[in-house]
Amino acid sequence: MTTTIRGLMGACCLAAFGAPLAAETITVATVNNGDMIRMQGLMAQFNEKHPDIEVNWVTLEENVLRQRVTTDIATKGGQYDVLTIGNYEVPIWAKQGWLLPLDDMGADYDAADFLAPVAQALTVDDKLYAAPFYAESAMLMYRSDLLEKAGLTMPEDPTWDFITEAAEKMTDKDAGVYGICLRGKAGWGENMAFLTAMSHSMGARWFDMEWKPQFDSPEWKETLDTYLNLMTKYGPPGASSNGFNENLALFQTGKCGMWMDATVAASFVSNPEESTVADNVAFAPFPHKDGVDNHGNWLWSWNLAIPASSTKQEASKAFVAWATSKEYTNLVAEEDGIANAPPGTRTSLYANEEYLKAPFAQPTLTAIENANTQHPSVQEVPYTGGQWISIPEFQAIGTAVGQVFSAALAGTSTADQALTAAQTLTQREMQRAGYPK
Amino acid sequence: MATQASRAAGRLMISPAVIVLFLWMIVPLGMTIYFSFLRYNLLIPGDHAFAGFENYQFFFTDPNFWPALINTLLLVGGVLLITTVGGILLALLLDQPMFGQGIVRVLVIAPFFVMPTVSALVWKNMFMNPVNGIFGWLANVFGVPPYDFLSQAPLLSIILIVAWQWLPFATLILLTALQSLDSEQLEAAEMDGAGPFSRFFHIMLPHLSRAATVVILIQTIFLLSIFAEILVTTNGGPGNASTNLTYLVYSQSLLQYDVGLGSAGGIVAVILANIVAIFLMRMIGKNLEA
Amino acid sequence: MARASTTQRKIVVTVIAWIIALAIFFPILWTILTSFKTEADAIAIPPKFLNFTWTLDNYITVQERSDYFRHFMNSVIISLGSTVLALIVAIPAAWSMAFVPGKRTKDILMWMLSTKMMPAVGVLIPIYLIFRDWGLLDSRTGLIIVLMLMNLPIVVWMLYTYFKEIPGEILEAARMDGASLGKEILYVLTPMAVPGIASTLLLNIILAWNEAFWTLNLTTSNAAPLSTFIASYSSPEGLFYAKLSAASTMAIAPILILGWFSQKQLVRGLTFGAVK
Repeated sequence: MTTTIRGLMGACCLAAFGAPLAAETITVATVNNGDMIRMQGLMAQFNEKHPDIEVNWVTLEENVLRQRVTTDIATKGGQYDVLTIGNYEVPIWAKQGWLLPLDDMGADYDAADFLAPVAQALTVDDKLYAAPFYAESAMLMYRSDLLEKAGLTMPEDPTWDFITEAAEKMTDKDAGVYGICLRGKAGWGENMAFLTAMSHSMGARWFDMEWKPQFDSPEWKETLDTYLNLMTKYGPPGASSNGFNENLALFQTGKCGMWMDATVAASFVSNPEESTVADNVAFAPFPHKDGVDNHGNWLWSWNLAIPASSTKQEASKAFVAWATSKEYTNLVAEEDGIANAPPGTRTSLYANEEYLKAPFAQPTLTAIENANTQHPSVQEVPYTGGQWISIPEFQAIGTAVGQVFSAALAGTSTADQALTAAQTLTQREMQRAGYPK
Repeated sequence: MATQASRAAGRLMISPAVIVLFLWMIVPLGMTIYFSFLRYNLLIPGDHAFAGFENYQFFFTDPNFWPALINTLLLVGGVLLITTVGGILLALLLDQPMFGQGIVRVLVIAPFFVMPTVSALVWKNMFMNPVNGIFGWLANVFGVPPYDFLSQAPLLSIILIVAWQWLPFATLILLTALQSLDSEQLEAAEMDGAGPFSRFFHIMLPHLSRAATVVILIQTIFLLSIFAEILVTTNGGPGNASTNLTYLVYSQSLLQYDVGLGSAGGIVAVILANIVAIFLMRMIGKNLEA
Repeated sequence: MARASTTQRKIVVTVIAWIIALAIFFPILWTILTSFKTEADAIAIPPKFLNFTWTLDNYITVQERSDYFRHFMNSVIISLGSTVLALIVAIPAAWSMAFVPGKRTKDILMWMLSTKMMPAVGVLIPIYLIFRDWGLLDSRTGLIIVLMLMNLPIVVWMLYTYFKEIPGEILEAARMDGASLGKEILYVLTPMAVPGIASTLLLNIILAWNEAFWTLNLTTSNAAPLSTFIASYSSPEGLFYAKLSAASTMAIAPILILGWFSQKQLVRGLTFGAVK
């Protein structure tokens, strides 16, 4: 009797859901960026392929995500099966043994297809610890119409001197046009990402070989002076609270002449549905100081990783493999057009003639390929990185220094005061952390 | 009046509340005190060595410590000032006969129901942003350069946002108190020739003082730990211009994942908050007894 | 004559009061309006007050992306659960403080309030570790307990101030009639304190609904309330004011409506003994 009922109920459930009862649910933590949101809309295809895996999305704003995910993995809370983390976290976490190496991702995964600089940043001891979902470097985005009006032409490899000149000539405050928009909002991933890259392009470095901070060097002084000069004279008001998003909105609404930021912005500013200036956007490499062969070495990727403690490793791997596969790229191409494919991770995407038609495709590839995270500065350095420094303490130090520089931009301190403060606080933190190690 | 038996029953009945609160206080507090003596960074697993008072020393010598303390007091004081004075004025206004009083009251109390994160996001992006915000647009209309609230006056901007959220609360309590005022007393004073100001200062204000102390006490408890509004709008900056103690503790324990340092900061914050609390309780306890 | 001036005065008061009320309400109104705009209209300068194309797209997008109803239900369960639990613990405590005060009663009350001053950010890691060990992470039970403890001091205090105003003679009389302690609380005290309990309940639902630190940090998805829902719209790439406004409207609407409908009950008891 009871068995009959059970059997009936089982049949009933099967009929209702059409899926095996052993379905596994994995929880994926991700950031609320456009490409991840798009993926959530394409889950039907994944479910078709893996009917036994149910994906539970947790989408959060970047800072909240980072705090949640870090707390959870460090305390072994076990809340997530797949994490979306940056290439800053990957090597640090991999060395702690927190991440599962992703070596057997299936026959047609083709891990060799990943762009070398991107894959290298995610590799520890020859093992890939996270799969890149999309990657970016930094470049200069500018308004060709405004530059033309100013009577200038963009050199192939612009210098900071040229940028200053162009910013001055493009600025028309009465018309609400500001020559240059740059990040000013404090944070290691906000203004310090830009300023660190800019400092590298000026020939500066964060630390010398004894891990002594270098904010008292002439290169850093030149970096900050140039930045403050550009922003206070030709930048928009309120720049000290502008991050990537704010600048994107400003550029899209036609208020910026030039903007140096992540390459992913390129597809947003040249999308006529979102951007009022889509027709007049052009791209150039990240500027550098005359005589310094360095374009900042900005390299960021959002990656999918699996905590070593996950109890659902196989299902999680299947998901990561799908989300970072060529097949996924093709899927996006079919559904939303190839220009919307997650950029910057696979060589094969940049071999696609169709994709290369997008005006930002080639500049993005060049920028990523030129990013050297192994030797980010022209001087000798004890660290790897790019727009960040690969030590666990960098989040804290970067954010604190970011606050100091943001205050200088807001005009509450001078450049020299800011550099002195940055030097002191970095020294303090490094000493506490026990460097040189 | 109370018998022996009811005393015992009283103790029995108060105990669940006391016990759970005691546990809620002592367990995290105990762990926090313990952590505060360790060298404990979440990102660096392994043994957590005993650190003595190193964390405390580091916290007190943090150049942001004193500014954070001052900002905390300014933030609490500023919001209290705006909400109490504004609350009294609004209560006086809402107490007058008018058309559509119900709707007016509904509109005025609405901000109290809004999540702090939401209100901070809305104020930051849609009002205070100098380029896209409404204030920036208004400035342009009147031909003055847009004022950049969050970078030029970060603490004041946060005070304004928080005051907007708490003004309804103050107004409601003060209004209830005002309505309980004996109207005969006011009429008598009017007969005696007391002007509106004299009536306000000699009859209404003393009557409102109890309600005002309640407003101050409750708000202080919440305002000492203001956090979400700062996180969303300024991240404590520029520099440390809008960093309060809670935010400082946050930036150390969660942004830097330095649990030892954050715990030390947490303990310091608890002690300071309790000092403020004791002052407040003394002040208010007296007033509430009367 | 006198009447005319009263009417005049009433009109002036009405105008002033409406202007101030609308100014205070404006940010909320603006958020609601913006939620019906396209992203381009949302950011337009000069701002578009009513002259824009109304659209429901933002709501549709938000609903497609996140399961609003699940977050909403979690918010309801957590805020209601924690409030009811707090009342159960607090009513006896407040009763005892009000009617059998000891020498230490005031001190206990003040100590309870002082536990609210502990900065939550400082104790997140300890609590997270405890929650992990007890399997309470991402559970509604865990959040109900934490929010109950967070608000318990306020609940005890509010109830205490009401109970204190109830004349002791009534209880004496009930006792004379042979009512037991439990009956005394249930049948004599509670009915008299209903307005007080109602407004305590409402205030705490509001506080619990709007709590955004613990709810955000101790949940993942199953127990995630509306604060997490907001965190996925707060600053994405690209234009987001309209979508953020739609999400915000959805998050605050339930509590706003509850607050408006129950404002009489809320106000009646929201005096903390400040009214004699």
